[in-house]
Amino acid sequence: MRTWKDRMRHSTRGLGFVALVLIVAAIFGALEPRFLSYVSLNGIARHMAANGLAALGLTFVVIVRKFDLSIAGVAAFCAMSMGALIAAGWPLWSVILAGLALGAVIGGISGIAISRFGLPDIVTTIAVGSIGTGLAFIYTGGRSIFQNFFTSGITDLNDAKLMGLGVSMWLLVAIYALAWFVLSRTRTGLAFYATGENPMAAHFSGIATRRFVALAYVLCAMCTVLAVLLILAESGTAETNKGANLMMPAYAGVFLGAAIMGGTSVIASFGGILLITMLLDGFALMGLPYYYSDGVVSLILLIGVLAFSDGARGTLEALRFLFWPQKPTKPTAKGSDA
Amino acid sequence: MGAPVLIASDVCKRFGPVQALRNVDFRLEPGEVHALLGINGAGKSTFIKILSGALQKDSGTIRIGGEDVHFRAPEDAIRAGIATVQQHPELVPDMSGLDNIFLGRETASRSLMGRIDREALEARADALLARFAVPIDLSQEVGQMSAVEREAVAILQAIAVDGIRVLILDEPTSTLTDVEREDLFALMNQLRAQGIAIIYITHQLEEVFAIADSFSVFRGGACVARMSVDEARSSGVSLADLMLGEAVGDIFPKKADPDARGDVFLEVRDLSLTHGFENVSFTAHRGEILGLFGLVGSGCDELAKSIFGVDPPDQGEILIHGRPVSLRKPREALDAGIFLVPGDRRTEGLALSRHSLFNVPMANLRRAAGGRWGLKSRQLRSDIQRLTDQVALHPPHLNTPASGFSGGNQQKIVLAKGLYSEADIYIFVEPTVGVDIGARAKIYGLMRDLSERAAVIVVSSDCDEVHGVADRTIALHKGRHVEPESGVFSRDDLLMAGIMGKGSL
Amino acid sequence: MTMTSTVKFAQSRPRGRKIARLTTDLWLVVAVIVVTLGIASQRPQLLDAVNIATVLKSFSIMVVMVLGLTWVIASGKIDVSFMQVAALSNMICAYALAQGWSWGGAIVVALLAGALVGLINGWLVASMRLPALIVTISTAGICASIAAALGKGTVIRIADPGPLEPLLQPALGGAVPMIVVPVLLIAAVAWFVQERLSFGRYIYALGQNEAAVRAVGVPVVKLTVVLFVLSGVSSALAGILLASSLSSGQPMIGGPFLINGLTVVLLGGMMVRVGKPNILGTLTATLFIGVLFSGATLLGLPDFQRQIIQGGLLLTGLIVATIAASHHGARTAGQ
Repeated sequence: MRTWKDRMRHSTRGLGFVALVLIVAAIFGALEPRFLSYVSLNGIARHMAANGLAALGLTFVVIVRKFDLSIAGVAAFCAMSMGALIAAGWPLWSVILAGLALGAVIGGISGIAISRFGLPDIVTTIAVGSIGTGLAFIYTGGRSIFQNFFTSGITDLNDAKLMGLGVSMWLLVAIYALAWFVLSRTRTGLAFYATGENPMAAHFSGIATRRFVALAYVLCAMCTVLAVLLILAESGTAETNKGANLMMPAYAGVFLGAAIMGGTSVIASFGGILLITMLLDGFALMGLPYYYSDGVVSLILLIGVLAFSDGARGTLEALRFLFWPQKPTKPTAKGSDA
Repeated sequence: MGAPVLIASDVCKRFGPVQALRNVDFRLEPGEVHALLGINGAGKSTFIKILSGALQKDSGTIRIGGEDVHFRAPEDAIRAGIATVQQHPELVPDMSGLDNIFLGRETASRSLMGRIDREALEARADALLARFAVPIDLSQEVGQMSAVEREAVAILQAIAVDGIRVLILDEPTSTLTDVEREDLFALMNQLRAQGIAIIYITHQLEEVFAIADSFSVFRGGACVARMSVDEARSSGVSLADLMLGEAVGDIFPKKADPDARGDVFLEVRDLSLTHGFENVSFTAHRGEILGLFGLVGSGCDELAKSIFGVDPPDQGEILIHGRPVSLRKPREALDAGIFLVPGDRRTEGLALSRHSLFNVPMANLRRAAGGRWGLKSRQLRSDIQRLTDQVALHPPHLNTPASGFSGGNQQKIVLAKGLYSEADIYIFVEPTVGVDIGARAKIYGLMRDLSERAAVIVVSSDCDEVHGVADRTIALHKGRHVEPESGVFSRDDLLMAGIMGKGSL
Repeated sequence: MTMTSTVKFAQSRPRGRKIARLTTDLWLVVAVIVVTLGIASQRPQLLDAVNIATVLKSFSIMVVMVLGLTWVIASGKIDVSFMQVAALSNMICAYALAQGWSWGGAIVVALLAGALVGLINGWLVASMRLPALIVTISTAGICASIAAALGKGTVIRIADPGPLEPLLQPALGGAVPMIVVPVLLIAAVAWFVQERLSFGRYIYALGQNEAAVRAVGVPVVKLTVVLFVLSGVSSALAGILLASSLSSGQPMIGGPFLINGLTVVLLGGMMVRVGKPNILGTLTATLFIGVLFSGATLLGLPDFQRQIIQGGLLLTGLIVATIAASHHGARTAGQ
């Protein structure tokens, strides 16, 4: 799909990204040697698995140029629902399936409301999220659920290892690989991107744009369910505020990745969420109080999108021009008469 | 005429390695309508942007009323007396015409906290309308106005500023019907009578003779000719030749041999759509180009979209290869072998921020994946390379975003997309709006080539285009189709049929 | 010239329009009355002086918090940082007082903090052209973190009730706190600015077509920055009132206000100027929600059920607005 020039530019950005990750790791390693220990890296992998799944879901929504602010609410409601089912003695696999189905229904409601009936995305998902947050209380009135958790086997998702790597990380890698294949190597992926770029032109090209927008919300909610499932597995209880901390890292990962890689994609989100998780865990390890974490993530997100914005590029360009005025600015292919 | 109101001399402008303007000399007399001609890339837009303050010149001088001026921002140009109406003027749809005219100038101080005095605004509007009698209801919301009324509001907005001496109109007629165009010309005449000089950009050469007093021709970044319309008329010089720099023959390809006409690919029987068209019937054959002429509002656009399934018809039958079909959405139409080259390529045809590799396969993703799910990247790339070569995309960059091409080349990308979709019925809606003469000839040629294997339908409000390119024509008037009495429309008959709804004179 | 020939007026507009206008203007007011009477018939305590005073107090604080937000949304942007700005200013107040500052100093610093956040939001959105949601979601996170950090994650108590406290106490017959008066005054000024000054006109024009407003030379960047600063300052003011009202700085106070604020602004946008948030609509909707929630508490509904109701209400409002907009569109297109 790309020329070598395009690939070069892409891989330059990719290499830059890898370098950034290594630099961050090195800085943390120097400041706090425990950061590079097996336990810490394993912790990063675990946290990244949960954050990464939420970010992947959001990636689909952002590709169709929408937003989803219901992630926390969906996570809370589905977490409590799955917790209630585990407590009721359902086998784990059926709990997961039920959770995914519930997520799909909620995502479908948002998605259809937005794509089919044209409701505004931001406020609609805030409303749906709010309802979800409220519904999370219906099982226990707000008390946590922990019955049967240890016998159900859910904690294996957190503890079990495969070839030295946590099961959750394998799950993340597998789902990211699948998503990457679908979005960049199949016609479904092309249709997703076309829907986001110009829904009208996509419609005229025979692409069922509404279906793809709705599908993006369904996938987002289902990924959120998987993310919160991993959080349940790690903590061994279901609480109403589980998943409240999924949204900010997800946004930061997707938009930071997109800013650095020059566009929203599965790989960009993967890189973004890796960076964010490293920073979060690193700061936590260095004893930064918990209440700073949202602020740190937010700040990184802001700096990231700002640094790679057109406005900042213009400023840089102007600075460069100040120092090397003879260097011609990049010609545009645009005819001056366009 | 007195001293020139505007003189530009030796104006140069470059963008990186591209010399967009070289030593342009230009003169504008007070109260004249001056047409600015040139194909895309000739530099006329750049020149206009410099005059309106949107771009800054590299060198040269611009004098207004004898004084040297240098514009850093559009505001500077307006203060110096040059107002510009963009090709697609930006107005606020929910606000009335009156409020739009004075938007940003409600108060003398122009502060954000100025108190709006309705009566004073109405008095100013009355004063303005006393000078330029425009019979539109300015209390109406702009969103409910017709195209020419919006254009009039935009012009009034531009000249509502005191001291405007020069008005620049950038292709104002491209979205207007012939009747509306006359209304616009009437308004331009009033402006001329008030001593306002008008610079008028157009691709429609006959308009030059209809409204302009004089014209300048841009070519390759220079102003290569300036003459009065009378001179041009008496000397018989060809404007198209001046624009292209070499003698061009007819831009239209040869007509098809009537005997070569093949099977009926598309038949439409008594098709109707509320607020669109009524009982339209026609057939389209392989081997010919069918022309469908209709002014804006005639239902032509609706008909094309209806056949393509965007807005399915209420009644009637569509037959493809003799078999009746029901097309409820574009997907079904594409599957049935119809491709629509939409009239508004920027919103309906292209993802502007993406390159050809993305845009071309969009309407046939199944082919891009070789009938499966995963994309066949190498095959896809070579197919697209071949198609962009075939349509002569210029510059031939597969990775440049569509927004980086001129209007004509954007249309070529849409064409490549159509070729990639392998349809056998092609409907072109307004195929050459905003397309320069060079690219037009290429696009017409491609239609002719296409007609050898497919049925081609050209839907246009440009009578010369329909008459020039089509082998057979019908007209649409107020939603009803008009057929020639004698079997074939002459150009004038076709025009009359579109305007008056008569089969012949 | 035959331009008029293309103009078609909708038939029999005047009378139908007047009635339609009246309904769109007043339906929410009617809803407030109906809900009040309905709940009062079940729980007469709703109309007790003390309860009225409570409702009006939270009404005043809420109105102050979303005044600026109303215009930000009307101009086609979004600000989801307002509730955390309130939390931040709330904590700054408490923190400054705990450090021995006077109330005056604490208020000034809290307001400046709100203005600063608004300035940052406005600059990033207007000058740097970043998406408003991403910008304000980030500043919201930063504000919330700073707010929590000021109290090391916990509540800071305020010993001195301060000069604002009397304003929040029931006066005027024991049912109306004095704060209502200045709040309504501010709202009246805002209404005047919105309806009579070019500022207000540009806000709505901006929401419709930013390019058009830019093209005529209105300083769009400045205008947008001012709107975000106003939003920051007004929610900071609400945070100060909360500090006085609760006699404490509460770092987690912001969260629930997000949905509250958006609900009143968008619900309010369904009256007077249909589909466009406006000051009068925001006032009415805030009162509506206030009465509804007070009633829900009296009826014994737990907190989470109120949240579900509110989400449902917001969704209903959105659906109504969208249907109204599409009808308007159909009428326009069908002419």
